[in-house]
Amino acid sequence: MRAVLPDREGVVDRSGVPIHYEVYGDGEPTLILIPPTPITHSRIWKALIPYLARQYRVVTLDGRGNGRSGRPVDMEAHSRAVVQEDILAVIEASDTGQAVLVAHCHANWWAVELASSHPELVRALVAIEPGVPHLGKPQPHWVETGPHWDEILEDPSGWELNNRHAMVTRHREWIEFFFGEQLVEPHSTKQYEDAVGWALESTGEVLAAGEEGFELDWPQREVVERMCRELAVPTLTIHGDLDICQHVERGRAFAEITNGELVVIEGAGHLTLAREPVKVNHAIKEFVDRIEGIPMREHVWSRGLKRRKRALYVSSPIGLGHARRDVAIAKELMKLEPDLEIEWLAQDPVTRVLAEEGQTIHPASDWLASESAHIASEASGHELHCFQALRRMDEILVANFMIFQEVLEEGLYDIVLGDEAWDIDHFWHENPELKRGSHVWMTDFVGFLPMPSGGDHEEFLTADYNAEMIEHIARYPRIRDRSVFVGSPDDIVPEVFGPGLPKIRDWTEEHFDFSGYITGFEPPTLDQAAAWRAELGYGDDEKVCIVTVGGSGVGRDLLEKVISAYPMAKRAVPELRMVVVAGPRIDPAGLPSHEGLEYHGYIQRLYRHLAVSDLAIVQGGLTTTMELVAAKRPFLYFPLRNHFEQNYHVRHRLDRYRAGKYMDYAETDPDAIAAEIAAHAGVAGDYLDVERDGAARAAAMIADLV
Amino acid sequence: MRASYPEVEGQVSHNGLNLGYEVFGAGDPTVLLMPSWTIIHSRFWKLQVPYLARHFRVVTFDGPGNGHSDRSLDPHHYSASSYAEYALAVLDACGVESAIAVGLSRGAQYTLHLASMAPDRVLGVVMVGAALSLGITAPGRESAFERFHQSYPENPRGWEKYNLAYWHDHYEDFTRFFFDQCFSEQHSTKPIEDTVGWALETNPAVLEAESANWTSTKSTREMLTRLACPLLLIHGTDDRIISDEVSKEVARITGGTLLSMEGSGHLPLARDPVRFNLALRDFIARVAA
Repeated sequence: MRAVLPDREGVVDRSGVPIHYEVYGDGEPTLILIPPTPITHSRIWKALIPYLARQYRVVTLDGRGNGRSGRPVDMEAHSRAVVQEDILAVIEASDTGQAVLVAHCHANWWAVELASSHPELVRALVAIEPGVPHLGKPQPHWVETGPHWDEILEDPSGWELNNRHAMVTRHREWIEFFFGEQLVEPHSTKQYEDAVGWALESTGEVLAAGEEGFELDWPQREVVERMCRELAVPTLTIHGDLDICQHVERGRAFAEITNGELVVIEGAGHLTLAREPVKVNHAIKEFVDRIEGIPMREHVWSRGLKRRKRALYVSSPIGLGHARRDVAIAKELMKLEPDLEIEWLAQDPVTRVLAEEGQTIHPASDWLASESAHIASEASGHELHCFQALRRMDEILVANFMIFQEVLEEGLYDIVLGDEAWDIDHFWHENPELKRGSHVWMTDFVGFLPMPSGGDHEEFLTADYNAEMIEHIARYPRIRDRSVFVGSPDDIVPEVFGPGLPKIRDWTEEHFDFSGYITGFEPPTLDQAAAWRAELGYGDDEKVCIVTVGGSGVGRDLLEKVISAYPMAKRAVPELRMVVVAGPRIDPAGLPSHEGLEYHGYIQRLYRHLAVSDLAIVQGGLTTTMELVAAKRPFLYFPLRNHFEQNYHVRHRLDRYRAGKYMDYAETDPDAIAAEIAAHAGVAGDYLDVERDGAARAAAMIADLV
Repeated sequence: MRASYPEVEGQVSHNGLNLGYEVFGAGDPTVLLMPSWTIIHSRFWKLQVPYLARHFRVVTFDGPGNGHSDRSLDPHHYSASSYAEYALAVLDACGVESAIAVGLSRGAQYTLHLASMAPDRVLGVVMVGAALSLGITAPGRESAFERFHQSYPENPRGWEKYNLAYWHDHYEDFTRFFFDQCFSEQHSTKPIEDTVGWALETNPAVLEAESANWTSTKSTREMLTRLACPLLLIHGTDDRIISDEVSKEVARITGGTLLSMEGSGHLPLARDPVRFNLALRDFIARVAA
C-alpha cells in the first residue's frame, strides 16, 4: 500500500503520447519531481512524497517511456526538447505556476535546460546525483563503452551491456547489472527490487531510444558551462560520494558552477533518494524553507529544569495486542513516576483502546499513514506473508518516521517508548544524529525467520535483515538505551539469525532485559469467572465457543470455515453455543448464518469473553492466544499461512506453556474442526502459569531512564 | 581570559563623545550587538560573540556611560535617537553598509530607532526582553516608577530600591537587587556577579543622566507599524523586569516571530546561551538567505 495517495491525477496528451502526472498536497511552493526516465518512473520518489507533500505541493510525472506514460520507441520522440515540453505541459495541466524542480541523475540536464529557457517557471533546482554533461569527471565505464554503442558484441557482460543491441536483447540482464552496481550500500535488497521492478515496466527498445534521444543535439562543454553559470535560481545538489553512475565530482562541479549548496552523503551511491530518504527529505526541506524565507514558527522552549518529565509512547498498530500491554506498562510506570506525562503517537486500532483508557493521543497521530490498513491489504485468504509485508511497508515507515521525528523535535520528550516501533528503531540507527531522549525498544520476538515457501531467496533476505539489525546495534549501542523482551529467555526460538550469524537466543540474552509476558489484564478467579459468565449471559449448562480473528481485518476465511463446521459440531455437542466475533474491520452481516449462531462486531474487553469461554478458536496471534493461556482456557489456533511470527515464534512460546491445539488451516476441513470442538470444549488446560508482574517489571526497567 | 578577542578595537567620536567598539570575525552578514541600559556594557554579549563570530562579522559597542565609552552626564547623549546615531557611526567606522541589529531590553528601543532612522542599513532586528513603551509594565514595578524621584522609605524593600536617591546612597545594593530580579532562574550566581561587576564600572550619576530620556508609547507603536525588516522576538516567560506581554504585543503589531523561553528571566542570553545562540543563528541565516 502507498503511504499517501495523490489528491489529483491526470494525463496530458503529447501528440499521441500520454504523459501521466499526480498532484499531492496544497502547500507552497510547488515541487516538481522529475524522474530520469525511461529507466524508472515517478515511484522512485515514494520515500519523499509523503513528507514533502505535508508542507508543500508536490507534482510528479512519469516521464515518457515508463510508468503510466506512453512508450515511444523512436529516438526523436525522446529528444531533450520533447521531454522538456512534456514537463511544461504537466506544469500547465497541473495548474502550477512557478515551481522548484527536483530531478535525479540525467533528468537534471532537462531541468537545467528548462530553467534556462523558462526562468519564469523555475524557483529553484534540487539536483540529486545530477547528470549534467561535461561537468566534473565522467565515470570511466561510460567513456569506455560509449563508442561501442551501436556495435554487435559477442556475449557482452557487465558494463558492455551499455549497448543498443544488448539493451534490447538482454534488457533484464542490463537492468539487474546496472542497479546491482548502483546500490553500493549493504542491505539494499528492497531498493534493488524496487528499482529493477520499475525499470522492467519498460522495455529495452524504449530504454535504448531514450539513451539516444537524450544525446541528440549534444551540447558543447562551453554551452553547458555557460548555461549552468547563468542559471539565475538557487540550487541544492545532493550527491552520494560512492555514486558510480554520476561521479560525485560532477555534483561538486555543478554546485560550484551554479554557486549553489552541496550536500555530499558519504558512503552512499547513486540512489540517495531511495537509500537515505530521511537525510534527503531534511536537506530538501531546509533548502526550500530557506529560499522561500519561510519564517521560524512561533514556539516555546522551556528551560531544562522547568520541564515536566515527558514520554512519547509509540505503539505498533499491527494487531490490537500491543495496545493493551502498552497501557498496562504505562499504568505501572505512572505508579513509579507519578509526575510523568505520557503522550501516545498511535493509530487505529490502537487509538480505540487508548481512548477507552483515557490516554492522551498526540494530534499528529492523525497524519500517520495506516500500517494496519497496509497489513490488511497484504493479506489474502488465510495468508499473510508478514516479512514481505513489512518490507513492502518501507514507504509507510519512512513517512511515519518523518512525522515522529517532527513530533519529537517540537515536544521536548525525555524518553521514547517504542513497542515494535520499527520505523524509529531502524531510522535512528540509520540516522543516529537524530536521536533525542532515551529510547526503550520493546518486542516479543527477535529474528526474521524464512518460510519454506520462500526458498533460498527468502533465507538470504531474512538473514540480510537480521544481519543489518545486528550491525546496527553493534555500531550504535547508544540508540537503544534499553531493550525489553516481553517474555522469558525460554520463549526465544532455538534458531540462528542466518548462515554465519549468532544464535538468536544467545544474542538476545546478551542484548535484552526480560520482563516476562504481559497480558494487560488479571485472569479471573473462579468466583469472578462465574460472575463474569452470568454478567455476559453465558449459562452454566452451555458450552460457549468464542470464534475470533482479532482486530486486523485478516481472517474472514477462517471465520467462514469454522462457521461451516457449526452444524456438525452442534450435533456432536448439543450444549454448544458458538459466538463469532468478527472484529472492527469485518462486517458480520456478510458472513453465512446458521440458526443459533451469534455474531458480533467489535466487542470491548473481549478478553473477558475469552477468559470464561469453554473453547476458543483463534488465529495464531500472540496476544489472543496468551490471554487464553493466562485464563487456562482450551483453544484451537490456526496460524496464518506464511506468517513467520505466528508459525514459529508464537507456536514455540505456546508449546513452552503446553497450551493450545495447533491447527493447519489448509489441511483442516470443517469436519475436522467439528471433531476438535467436540474433543476440546470444556476441557480445562494444564498450562504453565503466565506471569502477572510483567508490566510492573517492564515499567521498572523504563523508570530507571526517566 | 576571554573566549575570543576582537580583530579590531576602536573608538568613534560623535558630537564630542568617545565610544568604544569591537569587531570580531569576518563572515557575512554583519551582526550589530547593541548596547542596553548603560548599567551594563558590551561584555554582556560575551556568551554570544565567540559563537556568532565564527559565522558572521560581529560588531559590539559601548553606549555612553560604561565600558570603553565616556561617562557622559549630559542627558541628551542618552536619547534613543542618539543611540541610533552612535550605531550608524560605528557601522561607518567599520565600513559596514548594513547589518542585523540585536537589542536587549532598553537596547530594543535603540534598535527600533535605528531601523526607523536608517531602514536601508538594517537587514533584520532581534529584540530580547524588549523594553518598549507600549503601556505594559511588569507587576510590582508601576509604583516604583512613580516614586522614583521621591525620597525612599527607611528600610526599602523590593522595587522601592528603584529610586534615584537610593541609587546615590546604596548603589551596589541596588544593583544586587536589580540583577537578582533580572535572573529569576535558580542557580544564577555567576551572571549576577558579572552584571553587578559591570554595573560598578559606572556610577549613579551616569544612570541619573540616562534616566531623563524615555520614548512615548505613541512613537513606539508608529515605528513598530512601519518596521519592514524581519523581526525575531525572544522573551523569557519569567521575566520580572519586562513582562513577556510586551513581546507578544510587538509580535501582534509587526507579525514578527516570537520565541518564548519558558522559565527564563530577563537575560536569557546569559542564562540559556545555547538555545539563545542557536535561535539567533537560525534567524540570521534565514535573513541572510
